[in-house]
Amino acid sequence: MTAYKAFTQEWMDAWKQKIAESKEYKEIAKNWEGSVSITVNADPSKNVPQPVYMFTDYWHGDVLDFVICDEAKAQTAKFIMTGDYARWKQVAKKELDATKALMQGKLKLKGDLTYVVRNVKTVNKVIDILTEVNTVFPDEA
Amino acid sequence: MAYDPDLSFVYFGPTKVIFGNGSSAQEVESEMGALGCSRAVVVTDQGIIKAGLLEKITASLGAKCVGVYSDIPQDTGIDVVNSASAFAKGKGADIVISVGGGSVIDTAKCMCILMTEGGSLSDFEGIQLLTRPQTPHIVIPTTAGTGSEVTWAAVIFDKSKGQKILIVESFNAPRVAILDPILTMKLPLLLTASTGMDAFCHAVEAMTSMQREPIADALALHAIRLLYKYLPQCIQNGNDLTARGQVQLAATMAGWAFGNALVGLVHAMAHSIGAVARVPHGIANGILLPHCMVFNLSDAQDVYAEIALALGVMEKGSTTEEAAQAAVAAVFAFTQKIGHPQKLSEFGVKEADIIKAAELSMSDGSIINNVRFVADASEVLEIYRKAL
Repeated sequence: MTAYKAFTQEWMDAWKQKIAESKEYKEIAKNWEGSVSITVNADPSKNVPQPVYMFTDYWHGDVLDFVICDEAKAQTAKFIMTGDYARWKQVAKKELDATKALMQGKLKLKGDLTYVVRNVKTVNKVIDILTEVNTVFPDEA
Repeated sequence: MAYDPDLSFVYFGPTKVIFGNGSSAQEVESEMGALGCSRAVVVTDQGIIKAGLLEKITASLGAKCVGVYSDIPQDTGIDVVNSASAFAKGKGADIVISVGGGSVIDTAKCMCILMTEGGSLSDFEGIQLLTRPQTPHIVIPTTAGTGSEVTWAAVIFDKSKGQKILIVESFNAPRVAILDPILTMKLPLLLTASTGMDAFCHAVEAMTSMQREPIADALALHAIRLLYKYLPQCIQNGNDLTARGQVQLAATMAGWAFGNALVGLVHAMAHSIGAVARVPHGIANGILLPHCMVFNLSDAQDVYAEIALALGVMEKGSTTEEAAQAAVAAVFAFTQKIGHPQKLSEFGVKEADIIKAAELSMSDGSIINNVRFVADASEVLEIYRKAL
């Protein structure tokens, strides 16, 4: 299985493809509308010298843009999620539940929280699918 | 449902609690001083003022009370928060003291953010966006049920969107909660029963949440004990200050429990039937709780057996299953004993409403924490039908 370097466009393409191929995701996410940006805070000690900004967009079960972007584009997303590298790595490896991480302040979310709460299964499914991508993290390379 | 072998959690409950008859007037000024504050804005509503619950508190504060903002409606909104914050800033306030129920407390929580950070409340819509402590907030609750005095979430209506927004911030947990049972003596019977069942439900659901953990369990279990013993006494005699006080403490404990462990199916269904048919939240919780316990029975037997033991309804020598069933039966009987409404139809709910609400429940975030996996809306509809 091909391994992808985390937070690269190739890694995002692989993640997007897995989401697009998931019939279960299509059903769960049939009501979801809108974009989510993910900001990974810089952590030079873990080989993340600069913040990484990712923009992902979803529409009624379809996956639209899925790109590495700049800060300005990340700020335009309907939902903006931010966290330290170590936390995102834990989420991506399924060592940390994203809902718990938000409640405990390990990740931050800006946006309509009631919408996220109503559609939390969609959020969890997107993360579940991410854990299926064979990922090489910056501090493991 | 034993704890996960790799149990991992964060328990957060930073609010200092002061309890006692008359404590609101006796302690508020010194608590304010202990927080290093000298200029308080008191936030309340007209009902509290008319009931005469505010006078002793403002008298105790004296010149340290620089203003009273009392224009808080039952369902507070962003415009209310903006107006109240502007009022507090104009008075040079350095602390907010809320005296009231959930709407007043949530308004005050959001005022603290705007007084510290400035800007508009919509900038803070989300979860854990703040990075520093906010303007101090002392809560003096006048109801016993929501647990809002120790939780760090606020629900505010956004007129422009026509929906409620949710703000969850650990940095905005109230610094102090002063529980004065005297302030809850004038609560009408139905409100006493429904807010009490709201607290009971917080406790039971925290114990059967997928995010269950031992500290929250301990708080929830004792909250259940206290409510089971003292809520009927409050209903029988609203002036029983001992009972009022124990119920108030139970609501606070249940607030800590569900604030950390979250809630499940009952809340998903109560939110949904509230949205579709405007059934008040506490009442919906009280009606639905025992029916949801029946649904969850297969997956929560050991927890319900613990509850049976706490309620004193576990027969000697009974199996876990028998004890769990006894707990469910006891909760059904309890709601009758306190005169709580039994059927959703008493609030005008129709079959068409529960069909809509069942669908809506499936997309409510609380449902994912429920101990028993809910596969589809037909399972939820079946529970609603039993409660109709």
